[in-house]
This record gives sequence, C-alpha cells and structure tokens, in this order.
Amino acid sequence: MNAEGFATELPWMWSGLAAYALATLVAISGVVIQNAGGTSTRGGRSERLVLALLIAGVVLLAAAIAQRWVRIGHGPWISLFELLMSQLWSLGVIYAVAYWRMPRFRASAVVVLPVFWVLGSWLLTLEPKASHFPATYYNEWKWIHVFLGKVYLALLLIGVGLAGVMILRRFPRAARWFGSMPADDVVDRVAWRVMMLALVFDSLMLIAGAVWAQDAWGRYWSWDSLETSAFVTWLALGVGIHVRLTYRVAPWISGAIIIGIFVLAFTTYLGMPYVSPAAHKGMV
Amino acid sequence: MKWFRLLASLKLTLVGMILLVIGASLTYDNRLDVTMWVLVVPLALLALNLTAAIFTNQRINRQPGLLVFHIGLLSIIVLAAIGRLSFIDAHLEIAEGQGFTPDLLLETKQGPLHAGRLDKVRFVQGYYTVDYAEGMHRGLTNSQVLIPDERGQFTSKIVGDDRVLVLEGYRFYTTFNKGFSVVLTWLPDQGIPVTGRINLPSYPLYDYKQDNSWTPQGASPVKFWLQVNTGMREDAAWVLDARNSRGVLVVSHGDQRVELQVGESTRLEGGQLRYDRLSAWMGYKVYYDPTLRWLFFVSIIAVIGMGWHYWQVMGARLFPAEAQHQRSDEKSSAPTGGLANAGEDV
Repeated sequence: MNAEGFATELPWMWSGLAAYALATLVAISGVVIQNAGGTSTRGGRSERLVLALLIAGVVLLAAAIAQRWVRIGHGPWISLFELLMSQLWSLGVIYAVAYWRMPRFRASAVVVLPVFWVLGSWLLTLEPKASHFPATYYNEWKWIHVFLGKVYLALLLIGVGLAGVMILRRFPRAARWFGSMPADDVVDRVAWRVMMLALVFDSLMLIAGAVWAQDAWGRYWSWDSLETSAFVTWLALGVGIHVRLTYRVAPWISGAIIIGIFVLAFTTYLGMPYVSPAAHKGMV
Repeated sequence: MKWFRLLASLKLTLVGMILLVIGASLTYDNRLDVTMWVLVVPLALLALNLTAAIFTNQRINRQPGLLVFHIGLLSIIVLAAIGRLSFIDAHLEIAEGQGFTPDLLLETKQGPLHAGRLDKVRFVQGYYTVDYAEGMHRGLTNSQVLIPDERGQFTSKIVGDDRVLVLEGYRFYTTFNKGFSVVLTWLPDQGIPVTGRINLPSYPLYDYKQDNSWTPQGASPVKFWLQVNTGMREDAAWVLDARNSRGVLVVSHGDQRVELQVGESTRLEGGQLRYDRLSAWMGYKVYYDPTLRWLFFVSIIAVIGMGWHYWQVMGARLFPAEAQHQRSDEKSSAPTGGLANAGEDV
C-alpha cells in the first residue's frame, strides 16, 4: 500500500473498521448464542455494546475523513477509496440511529453488519492516494445529492436486514435466532415501509442529481451508464412496491426482492462510476 | 367503463415498468444504435395506465398524497415529451471579441417544435482563464462575456463550469474545448485589406499540433503552425490565459516558410499577410428546454405527495411499527411463514 495517508487518516480508519468488526462479532454472538436454545430473548447488554461500538466506529471514521479532508483539501467525493470510507461512515450513522430507535428489530444487525465487513474489506484493498477535485464539483447541489443518496442507501440497508431475517427464518436453526423479533408479516410491513421511505429519498436524490447535472454538464439526464443504472434501480423499487400491492407475496420472496433492489443500488453507487467509460466516469 | 378499468390495472403498471426497465437497459451507456421507441412505448403505456388509474383507482384518487404523486409522475412524462419536442442542444466556438450569432452553432440537435428566440441572444466573448492543477487536471474556468442592455451599454459577467450564462432561455456552458486563434490581415495587391481570424485546435488537448490552413482568394493554400508559449507544465499548477501567452506563427506557402512575430508581415502570392495578434476562442455547449423549471417543480411536488402519503401511512412517526407490533404479534402465533396481504399499504 502507498505510504500516503499513513500519518493522517489511515490509523483512524483502521480503528473505525475494527470497531465495526467488533460490533458485528458482538451482534452475531448476542443473537446466535443467546437464542440458540430457542428462547426468544433480547440481549440488552450485548445490544448496548453493539450500539456503543457502532458509535465508536462512526466517530473514528469521521476523524479519518476529517484528517483526509485537511490533507488533500477536499471532501470524500471522488475516488472509490473516499466514497467507500464516506459510505461506511454515513451507513454507520443512520444504521446506529435505526438500531437505537427500533429495539425489536435489532437482531437484524447480524444481516446488516456483515455488509459493513464487505465494504470495509474492499476499502482496505484500495490505495488512499489524493484525488483531483473537478471544477463542476463546487456546485452546492452536489451536497444535497450526496446527502440524499446516503440516506437512501442506508434505508435500503435497513430493509436488507429485515429482508435477510425473513429469508433466514426459512431455516429452522436460523429461525430460532430471530425469535425475539416480531412475526414475518410485521417484519415484511416494516421492511416495505422502509423501502418506501427509501423511494422518497431516491426520488429526491435523482432530482438533486438532475439539477446538478444541468448546472454542471448542460443536461439533466443523458442516459449514461450511471444514470441508467440509477433509473433502473428507482424503477425496481417501484416494481417491488407494486408487486407487493398486486400479489400475495411470501415473506422470503419479499425479502429476496428487497435484497435484489439493494444489489442494484449498491452496484449503481459503488460500481458504475468506476467501470463505465461514459460521461459520469470522466466527472469523477 | 370496463376497458378503462382494465387500462388502470396494476398488472399493466408492472408490465409497463418492466418494459421500461428493459428499454432503459437497452439504451445503456447511451447507445446510438438503439431506437428511442424502446423508451417511448413503455412510457406511453405507463402514461395511459396512470391516467386511467388516477380516474378509476380509489386507492389513488381517495388518498391525496398518492393522487398528487401519480399526477406528478404523469406530468413529468408529459413535460419530458414536450421538452424533447422543443429542445435544442448544440455547440459553438466563439473568439475573443466576437459577437454571438445563431449561425455559429455547430452539431445542432433540436426538437421539431423548437421555437426559441435564439436570434434575440446577444453577447460578446471576452477573455478567459482556466486553472490547471498539477498533473494537467483542469480546474475552474472563468470566461468573461459582455452582455448589451437596451441602451447599448455592456455588462461584464464571468461564467464557467456550473456558472451558466442564461439568455432568452438558452443556457451557455463553457466546455473543455477552447484554444487559440490568430488574427491576420490580408493585404491583397488589388482590392481592400481584410482582417479575420483562424482558430487553432483545442488547447492544451492538441498542444502538439496547433496548425490550420487558409486559402486567400485567387491563391494557393497557406499553412499555419503556432509555436505557443503559455507557461504550461505538468508538474505544477498553472493558468491558461491568452493575455499572458506568446506565439510565433510559422507560415508555409509552397516552398516558402517564414516565422512571424506579432505585427510582422510576409509576402505571399497575390498579396501580403500580416500577423496582428494572438487571441483565443472558447467552446460552449448550448442547451434550451422550456420545460426545465416546470420539470423541477413538478418533480418536487410529486415527491412531496409521496412523502405526505408516507407520513399518513406511518402515522407521523418514523418507526410506528414499534407501536403496532404488539397487536400484530398477538395475531401471529408463528414467527415464520404467512403471506403478506396483497393490496395493503406499504
């Protein structure tokens, strides 16, 4: 790995990722061990520890982002390294709030937190070299677009946690882990409410992005790969909601639809700008 | 009417959405070999479906939030269609000191119903500067434009990147495409002198081939090559500014080759050519769509409608399921299995 960032953001980032990793281990042990006997209990102490570790991770990653911001002179907007670090921070913030405010659904952390591991492991493979800040990124709409996008992806992640529970409950052993959570019909309803809220933020994100694109590149929509992928994800959310309104869908299928939408959003967010040779890539 | 209710079917909505997903995927990366009908057909189907649903589906028209959202979606489709019929998308290259005229537009794409007032657009291009960071990364562009008012006075304005020049609804964006031009005067042996300019290729993109050619009336072609010194460097930040740049103009005509400094002349077949000064040109993207503002407002209102509906469904609480789960828990004895109710509000 490049020596760049060793004296600044990297120690903070590693500490933040370690806190998230510990939170994952505590969450899994709390859910699996305490509910292994089939009794539906919620581990108050382990849940508090998970929340504390999540908050610690958020604070440490915030310090890493701030250190890098000072070092390179701009925020985490450009390189995949920056986007992943920023995403891990914002997902951590919003998921910590959800974890705190939805105590009956905390067991779903065993599905959500491994996603942090995936992102964190990916982040560790990337070089923290400084990135160039394009002129069109001074636009204020970028802040709004990015903020809305972060809320949107975090809401999808919360939905994924609930979706994962509905799928895992098809397996008797795993079903015992989630005995402390409400029944599938409630989990399903809450999951889709979260997805609908995600649709609100997704729509606002697309609008803010279109305004930014119009100001910065002279077109609000041009069907480049990132825009197309974002639109397909928005449509997939709409399709998912309409499928649920039209048909009686088994919880595990409902969960699979939610996970499919998240995969699309994840690919759009963290894949498309870096694999496509289209306009958006030039802009990052 | 039965057919109207069929048209409003949620299943048809799903078909339309899936067709739109397929259509959008086919246009992936803006492929030019894919017909626009892959988007137009599903959008038209969805517009019909939405219209019918707004009138007949009580779940939509009896819930104000959902009604606003769906009318908003329909309006977006209509506005986008109007936009495609009336838009204009073009490029232009305009030199320092030159006034804008519609005939400068290049690569123009426009809708069949475009009816803007491009002929009313007036501005004169001034100087420009472009910041470059180490490694030749382009930074901020500052381009001066002079805009005349009704009294004939000019107002100076700096535009560039996302600071857009908007005149008569036309939006002018600076682009990466900009470069130098040389101002020349042709003094023919017979006739009156003519002053004009020759634009050279985009700079610094084509810094290695700053050449062009011109054919004087009644003579053979003359080739030009500009040896320009802008202070450009890759290992440090620098500013592209024609006012601080110097250029030697190499003129080739047949076997004759001569280097001219600003103000110098050379004798060519049929007259004399004088190199008056080094100037610059800026490339703009021009965009016009009268629906832009409406699209923004309608989109926002649609999302407000969706948010309003969500607020009602959620009982104005962020996570009301926390309050409701007790009741549901009592109804559901098993933690697994069970089907979601089709048609329930999400």
